[in-house]
Amino acid sequence: MPVLEISDLIGAWDPATGARLPVGKDEVVARLRAAGDRRAVRIVERMPASGGFLDPEAVDRLFVRVHTELQRLGEEMRMAQRFAELLRPLVAAARRAGFGPLRIVDVGCGIGPVTRSLAASGTLGGDIELIGADLNPVLVAEATRLAEDEGLTCRFVRRDALALDEPATFYISSGVLHHLPAASLPGFFHAQDRPGTAGFVHYDIAATRLAPLGAWVFHRARMREPLGRHDGVASARRAHGDAVLLDAASSAEGMRVFLFTPPRHANPCCATMRPVIGVRPELAEGLRRGLGRRARGLTGAGGARGGGGGAPGGPGVIRGGVGGVGEGTGGGRGGGDVREGPGCVRRGAGGVREETGG
Amino acid sequence: MTWVPAQDVMVPALLAALAVTDGAFAGFRAAAGRNARIRRRAYTVTAAGRGAAVALVDLAATAAVSLADLGRRYPALLAAGARMLAVLAPFAVLVVLSLGAYLLLPTREGALVVVVGLGPFTLVRPIVVTGAVAAACLGSRDPVIWAAAVTAAVGVLTVEPLVHRRWYREPC
Repeated sequence: MPVLEISDLIGAWDPATGARLPVGKDEVVARLRAAGDRRAVRIVERMPASGGFLDPEAVDRLFVRVHTELQRLGEEMRMAQRFAELLRPLVAAARRAGFGPLRIVDVGCGIGPVTRSLAASGTLGGDIELIGADLNPVLVAEATRLAEDEGLTCRFVRRDALALDEPATFYISSGVLHHLPAASLPGFFHAQDRPGTAGFVHYDIAATRLAPLGAWVFHRARMREPLGRHDGVASARRAHGDAVLLDAASSAEGMRVFLFTPPRHANPCCATMRPVIGVRPELAEGLRRGLGRRARGLTGAGGARGGGGGAPGGPGVIRGGVGGVGEGTGGGRGGGDVREGPGCVRRGAGGVREETGG
Repeated sequence: MTWVPAQDVMVPALLAALAVTDGAFAGFRAAAGRNARIRRRAYTVTAAGRGAAVALVDLAATAAVSLADLGRRYPALLAAGARMLAVLAPFAVLVVLSLGAYLLLPTREGALVVVVGLGPFTLVRPIVVTGAVAAACLGSRDPVIWAAAVTAAVGVLTVEPLVHRRWYREPC
């Protein structure tokens, strides 16, 4: 049975206009019931609705509450520091290699905790443009409000991060990959193999056998919203394994790809986060040098592949709230064996876009 | 000048200190996840202060319950308090050690402490407090001591929900 996250189902927006689309409560309940998730059914049944549709204002408030709580979790897991640890040497290497202007795009940024934290710390230097992109307009508005409130030099856009006019020097994300089906991951990574892009750092939950238990404990202890607690465990259950991520990331054929998980620090008991990293071959040595002894934690393919690209997917309708990943922008690898075109709607507690048909 | 024996003061003082410190942490937790700004030291300090203040009110309630015939009952209250401390103190030491490890260890190891230490400790805290009440009550047949122990436990466990509902229901 599929593992569903409630937040993937309760919000929907038109990708072109950003206009909210009505979400039928019965439809969401039916999907969760079909997935055998009675707890999720109870959570959605308690949500306010009008005329058979979920109350959009209540859903918006819920998204903001859940994401604010998620930020607290990310802070305890020191996600911003973890990104900085990798991005500092990567950005330095990109500067030396002549990439520019330097731009970091946070894919499916939610309310932008990582982007705002990087902006507040200034750890990457003043010449870096920091952009958070998400398909959920409510989260983008909240991220913008928070950044303006603190006078941070970063900005947020309601866009598919991988379809921005200007490519990022580095794409980053936190907790987004598990929102993508395994079949869509190659397209996601391939789409980041753009001219002008130096690499990517995508953190997600490490898929260990006991990760769901660890996630249950951590979310139970730290989150109040039943939806957040539910989706936290579902996230751990949906997390992709190391081999799946490395194989998919190798679809960014001009990059060397790694996982950064020092085995001696691996935590077999609980949910924790580890990144998949892609870098242009000429930057790999700079990353290793910048990490120093910690470079021993870089594992994986490490080789760049040649080959062609795939075809981009077409527009669809977006659902969701947490992230904001456009699946359709990727296309296939090596000539486009994965194709997603215009068609039906669906998904995205991450504002993850899932398109079918085409 | 009459000196009060140290042990007569030590137990209530330690319990009070534990309650107020726990209240400050409860205030922090009550406010956590409700303010997504990056710089929020003042917000956090205020929340901890509110938690400590509510804990002080709860302490006053516990003291009021204990006041009846205090002179005669004091030794039994001290003994009950010592039994509570025997349960609470080791837990408090573990929490302090975990917190220290979280703050002092490098990024990854510190985060691990949250997952295997501080997070689970938050979950078992009500069980530990209940155990402390049981330890206090099991050694006494005095209903006033039972009432004092239960009042103290209810006070400790309600700080976080009270502070949360009063000040931090919605994100700010």
